[in-house]
Amino acid sequence: MSDVVLRIHELSRHYVEGDRRHVVLDRTSAEIRRGEFVVLLGPSGSGKSTLLNLVSGIDRPDGGWVEIAGVQLTELDERERTLFRRNHIGFVFQFFNLLPTLTVEENLLLPLELKGRLDADAHERARALLETVGLGDRGGSFPDRLSGGEQQRVALARALVHDPELILADEPTGNLDPATGGRVLDLFDTLVRDAGRTLLAVTHSRELAAHADRVLRIEDGRLVEVAMEPVA
Amino acid sequence: MNLVRAASRRWALRHPGQVVLSVLGVALGVAVVVAIDLAIQSSRAAFEVSTETVAGRATHRIEGGPSGLPDSVFTRVRTELGLRASAPVVEAWAASERWEGTALRLLGVDPFSERPFRPYLAGGGPGLDVDVLLNDPAAVVLPEALALDGGLEVGDSLALVVEGRSRVAVVAGTLTAADELARRGLADVIVADVATVQRFLDRPGRLTRIDLVLSEEPAAEAAVLAELDRIVPAGARVLTVGTRSDSLSGMLRAFDLNLTALSLLALVFGMFLIYNAMTFSVVQRRELLGSLRALGVTRGEVTRMIGMEALATGVVGTTLGLGFGVVLGRGLVRLVTQTINDLYFSVTVESLTLPPEVLAKGTLLGVGATLLAAWPAVREAVQAPPRMAQTRSLGEDRVRRLVPRAAVSGGGLVAGGVVLLTIPSRSLLLSFAGLFAVLLGAALLTPLATVVFVRAVLPLLGATVGILGTLAARGVTAALSRTAPAVAALVVAVSVTVGLGVMIQSFRGTVVEWLDHTLQADIYVSPPSPISSRAEGALDPGVVERLSAVPGIAGRSTYRGTELLTDDGLLRVVALDLDPRGEASFRFLDVEAADAFGAFRGAGAVLVSEPYAYRNGVEAGDRIELLTDRGPTPLEVAGVFKDYGSERGVVMMARTTWSQLYDDDRITSLGFFLADGVDTDEVEAAMRSAAGADQAVVVRSNRALREASLEVFDRTFAITAVLRALAFGVAFIGVLSALMALQLERGRELGVLRANGLTPRQVWTLVTTQTGVLGLVAGLLAVPTGLALAVIMIEVVNRRSFGWTLDMQVGGGLLLQAVGLAMAGALLAGLYPAWRMSRTSPALALREE
Repeated sequence: MSDVVLRIHELSRHYVEGDRRHVVLDRTSAEIRRGEFVVLLGPSGSGKSTLLNLVSGIDRPDGGWVEIAGVQLTELDERERTLFRRNHIGFVFQFFNLLPTLTVEENLLLPLELKGRLDADAHERARALLETVGLGDRGGSFPDRLSGGEQQRVALARALVHDPELILADEPTGNLDPATGGRVLDLFDTLVRDAGRTLLAVTHSRELAAHADRVLRIEDGRLVEVAMEPVA
Repeated sequence: MNLVRAASRRWALRHPGQVVLSVLGVALGVAVVVAIDLAIQSSRAAFEVSTETVAGRATHRIEGGPSGLPDSVFTRVRTELGLRASAPVVEAWAASERWEGTALRLLGVDPFSERPFRPYLAGGGPGLDVDVLLNDPAAVVLPEALALDGGLEVGDSLALVVEGRSRVAVVAGTLTAADELARRGLADVIVADVATVQRFLDRPGRLTRIDLVLSEEPAAEAAVLAELDRIVPAGARVLTVGTRSDSLSGMLRAFDLNLTALSLLALVFGMFLIYNAMTFSVVQRRELLGSLRALGVTRGEVTRMIGMEALATGVVGTTLGLGFGVVLGRGLVRLVTQTINDLYFSVTVESLTLPPEVLAKGTLLGVGATLLAAWPAVREAVQAPPRMAQTRSLGEDRVRRLVPRAAVSGGGLVAGGVVLLTIPSRSLLLSFAGLFAVLLGAALLTPLATVVFVRAVLPLLGATVGILGTLAARGVTAALSRTAPAVAALVVAVSVTVGLGVMIQSFRGTVVEWLDHTLQADIYVSPPSPISSRAEGALDPGVVERLSAVPGIAGRSTYRGTELLTDDGLLRVVALDLDPRGEASFRFLDVEAADAFGAFRGAGAVLVSEPYAYRNGVEAGDRIELLTDRGPTPLEVAGVFKDYGSERGVVMMARTTWSQLYDDDRITSLGFFLADGVDTDEVEAAMRSAAGADQAVVVRSNRALREASLEVFDRTFAITAVLRALAFGVAFIGVLSALMALQLERGRELGVLRANGLTPRQVWTLVTTQTGVLGLVAGLLAVPTGLALAVIMIEVVNRRSFGWTLDMQVGGGLLLQAVGLAMAGALLAGLYPAWRMSRTSPALALREE
């Protein structure tokens, strides 16, 4: 089995606004290996979220392809892509996007249920993960009772609970104060790097980028690797 | 546990108000449809059971003209044809103080001929003493329940009014119904010997009909029918038993269809409520649905989730609606029965019939309508893109792009509706399809009209209310996905109210004008009739003579009205001996009155009413054929006159013509013209005393008859008014919920404004300005739409249903009322959110989002 988890090949995507054709991604390629923590930096509107949507199979490219764990997403139909997403990808959103009508523990169980793995072990696993993110006593609470930092920790646990091949994070600390953001970053380190998971995070945050193995940037529709200076 | 379903269920539990409104929408819609259906079916069932019980097992009947059949026909059927399965029948309507307001069916039979027909009347049956029935000339037999209700026992005397004549009968026995159906069928029947009823009616030797049981074998049946043709006198017909009841029942078709269309309107409004609540619940959960989709929930699973919610709403709402429907049906059946009794025929509905097909139809309609109404919400949910960040503005952009498309579709629907309405057809279904197309088209034009209106008033609002006015107006177009359906629903509800209001106003105005013209005589006299809208029966010749001799009378018209069964159903034929002063009561559509009356009086021509002419496609100069006692007789049409008394149509002929064609010299009612300066009240009193005790008569002045006629008119439209109110109620709840949802959804925006220093009072101004703008738009749009609906109802639906033309009369008050209604509804809807938002701390409002 190849060591490459995510392979992006000649990926293109553009939008049409009136008479204007706006190229977001222009035949760009990249690879991310198993266990890598990759950060995608870039200003607003540079195409970071578009890339994340294409990688997760939420959106379809105009050209090129995306391959995750040996499966070409571009060859799958909408339903197959959705099923692939539920089984192989974990998400962390900027606004946490926890389901407000499910308790914290149920939010963690949801990906397992979707994956058909909702057994006794699943509950154990959810509780253990909550312990790990420091919320072992909040499993029965609803998300609106939690602070922003707590919600993002739940979101992180939810992204990991079903052992996805790839974790995608969209501005995971963008909505948190620096101290809370720092604690969440530490968790990323513990849960992702130490457990050997693969993570692609989109961010403005140089602090987050400082934790990454590699930093990519979108320039003129193409992914380019950038060298990061250590954070002071 | 299915967590996706749990998430959806808990969302519903957290928003109980929305769930209750959706369920209420379905329940009310289903209730109104089921209630109307049950009321109609119950009246029909009561009529059918009663007709069938009285008809018994007869397969055919010989029916005479206005004067019935001579006894001799029965003798010939028995002796010459040897038809043992034949029975003479005399039927009449009667009344008694013991059962106030109940029309009793007096059935005269020959007990010895009854066995093949009505076994419960055959000699020797339990409770029926044949000897007494035959020997006592006043003996009658009553159903047990009727006797009990009237406090009567065997041997008691019973005062009856038969076609106005006071008669005293003796209770000779009671009838025990074999089953519930027979009990219901016999509920208002009083049985006597043929001779007894003939004596009560002063019509010795005359039968109403002869019942027959003919062989089911076609050749044998045809042979007997051929022989019967030889015996049956001219003017009489041999009919299958269903013909008369089918004709009576057929008269209700237009009435039923109009009520059903109105009840469906309530369901349409109910659908809007569901649509609104479901769409709102999806819009509110856009982010949640987007998250689920991003987490790997498929479109199919989202469809199932929202679909199951809709199904649950539909099932719960429908179940409640069926229950409400039965309760409401009990109330409506009285109104429906009253109208049928006023306009068509006498029927007594003892209880609400609950046919399983009505309940099944209600269930299908309720659940189906819910799923249909929820479909846009399901689509919206499925199309919610599983993006990383969900934005409301994306949805609004899409809606704004849809506005021109909706307007084009709306324009197309209106045009399509107009085309449907102009197709030369009498189909009522086509008319209603056209009407609904126009209504739906107007609803689809609403978003564009709203945008245009808001743009137009924006500067004015900015100048008068300031930045809050601008904010309120822009809020309407910024949240078009929420405001447009609410405005559309309000437009539809108010325009239907305007349309129906104008139609009823025009109808009433036309009838008032018609009555003013038609009622030319000063005093009218007729026997009491079981049907309020027309005179039935006959006046005693002695009474006619005595009344005509009352001092102060300058002239009189006589009127003989009877129902004839024709190939096209029942037709009212009238013989008129018209005083020249009465000629002014006719308004002809196509000829000069002098020409028409010339032919009417001199040449044996007939006058036909507008509905008759419309239904049969005849005009002045055409010839029609009537079955008279001389056989089928062609008659020339001298003119077509305006008439709103009978939707089936009336054929009028001069009394002299009548006497040549029918062996019937009876008079149904009289119109007296008084000499100048004579006091009407005094003459009325004199007439009442002159009538004596022989026959009960109704003596009414011109004004009293006019008032009584309008009372019947108003009663007829009572059910329409109830349905209009119900439909509007459903729509109003829908609009209320839509506008409330819209304002509550803006909690965060209002929170931001509050945080920036907006006072609670300014929150009130903002919210009520916005709902006021919505109400005003809806009210202004509802007026032209309502007027268009009124034109369609007056010119197309009424014409096709009843065949008459109405003069459109639009009262300014009604239109102002419509705009006021829409604004009041909208402002009312803003009260709760304004109150809530003005009391909520800005921090909490922001956090709640």
